[in-house]
Amino acid sequence: MSSVRRADAARADELGGRSLAIRYAVLTVVSAVLLSPLVFMVSMALSSDQTSREMTFTFFPSEFHLENFITAFTSGLPIGQFLINSVVIVVFACVGMVFSSALVAYGFASLRAPGKSFLFMVLLSTMMIPGEVLLIPQFVLFRNLGWIDTLLPIIVPNFFANAYNVFLMRQFITRIPVELSDAAMIDGLGRWGIFRRIVLPLMRPILFAVAIFTFTFNWGYFFGPLIYINSEEKMPLALGVQILSATTSGAQTPPWNMVMVGSLILIVPMVAVYHFGQRYLYEAGLVSGSAGLK
Amino acid sequence: MRGAATKAPPDPVQTAERVDTAERSPMPAVRPGLRRARRREALTFYAFISPWLFGFVTLVALPMLSSLALSFTDWDSFQPPQFVGLSNYVELFTDDPLFWEALGHTLYFAAVSVPLSLLIALGLASLLARPMRGARFFRTVIYIPAVVPLVAAAMIFKWLLAPDAGPVNAALALFGIDGPAWLLDADWVIPAIILLSLWQVGAGTILLIAALQGVPPELYEAARIDGASRFQQFWRISVPMVTPVLFFNLVTGLIAGFQVFSQVYVLTDGTSGPDNASLMLVPYIYDNAFRNYDMGYASALAWVLFLIIMGFSAIIMRSSRLWVFYETEVRS
Repeated sequence: MSSVRRADAARADELGGRSLAIRYAVLTVVSAVLLSPLVFMVSMALSSDQTSREMTFTFFPSEFHLENFITAFTSGLPIGQFLINSVVIVVFACVGMVFSSALVAYGFASLRAPGKSFLFMVLLSTMMIPGEVLLIPQFVLFRNLGWIDTLLPIIVPNFFANAYNVFLMRQFITRIPVELSDAAMIDGLGRWGIFRRIVLPLMRPILFAVAIFTFTFNWGYFFGPLIYINSEEKMPLALGVQILSATTSGAQTPPWNMVMVGSLILIVPMVAVYHFGQRYLYEAGLVSGSAGLK
Repeated sequence: MRGAATKAPPDPVQTAERVDTAERSPMPAVRPGLRRARRREALTFYAFISPWLFGFVTLVALPMLSSLALSFTDWDSFQPPQFVGLSNYVELFTDDPLFWEALGHTLYFAAVSVPLSLLIALGLASLLARPMRGARFFRTVIYIPAVVPLVAAAMIFKWLLAPDAGPVNAALALFGIDGPAWLLDADWVIPAIILLSLWQVGAGTILLIAALQGVPPELYEAARIDGASRFQQFWRISVPMVTPVLFFNLVTGLIAGFQVFSQVYVLTDGTSGPDNASLMLVPYIYDNAFRNYDMGYASALAWVLFLIIMGFSAIIMRSSRLWVFYETEVRS
């Protein structure tokens, strides 16, 4: 932000002290409203079973049943196993997605071949296809492969890149000076060597950005696991915890304190990933200036 | 397309020497060595893109064709499919009130939640775009709900909106308002789902803050000299300048809105709500495919959804000429 602009803003604020007060008031109210579900969640996650059943909780936590976090892992549903399954999915998905997309993006960014621009258009147009159109044949394919009730239908497609990620990475690679690759080629490095030793290390921010997107998607992925996974011990967190919140009979209330413990376990890694990962999003140029649209 | 027409499309990323050679000798008479090098490069290209190409053929192209074919059949996914012509589509449009209900609810959800959250995001972004103390804090707070996984968000809202003692109705009771039964009330279940999507308004807000900060300050200075009020500056400068971002968010938001599934499933325990009041298109496809094993009908539904999404996208793209402003264009 230029100093001229800041001085300008300061002058505007001097003139409109009232408007600044209104801005603070509105933002405070909005922030409170947006944060309150999370405060409620924490409060409920720390409540006893009785408080939860009778709904006598308070806004700010007044009891601290931290043992809920242990109970969640030791009794009833195998939440520990859910967590392991989610981690397995996310790790494989991120590795597969980042490397396959980087390979494909390098191909589209730096190599010449007949049919390339046609294929790139095909790639871009796949972004518009809603998954529902592919759902049933994919399901049948995975069933014929014997992959039902395994994590494979969720993990494996990540190894075949994704149009959006390829597009972002290709844009990033085209900004890397060609001279670097040329110099390496003169030094006798082949295409694979250039990709591996020169381009890939320079792609660090965008690799992390794609890993964050892949993490985000797969950590909360619900539809795929719902369709492909039947046995509890193979479910990821997002699906497994949902079972907690489902009421089997009309009159029954779910164990809300445990549901909120489950929600917290789902949310904390996401917040952590964005907190520690946002600098890569900035470095990759994905959240600056015009939001990647210019 | 261009690549298919000319054998070797000129690539800007090549050495000067190569350009020279290519320009001096027209296509048919390239040196054999160069031709071999080109062929090698093409093979390398296909090797690099092979992961995508393989996935595209097996997980996109073939499934798409087979789901189109399946939509003309009756199939329980175990017996061989029976060809039934257009009857799935005929049934869908003329003899399936649930489809129309699902379509109506989906439109209602998308048409309210997407523009509303864009408006709120724009409002918040305009408050946060100008420098102020604590802007970072507010931005973080507004963004946090947007990174909460949908399933977790839906579970929280399911509890917040619990009819008798849920926090929302308890809060309303403080003001003497008798809150509705939300997820158990046919009139309130979709507003509840909309409420959940509004909670996650932060993602759009962040994009719009960046867009607003990218507006050149000279424009505001000029407007101020001309005596434009804050309000006029906002509607005449800020809003037009960020229309590309609004447009992008509108398109992606509507496409996602048409495909709403997870939050509906979690909020209503996999049912279609009271009196089918929250039946939406993708859950309806899911029910037909994986509960009734009516794969042919589900495929037809999926294709209709696809065409609806394409249709809407096309309309918005067309309309964009009227209201989306790109800086490079000159308007008289």
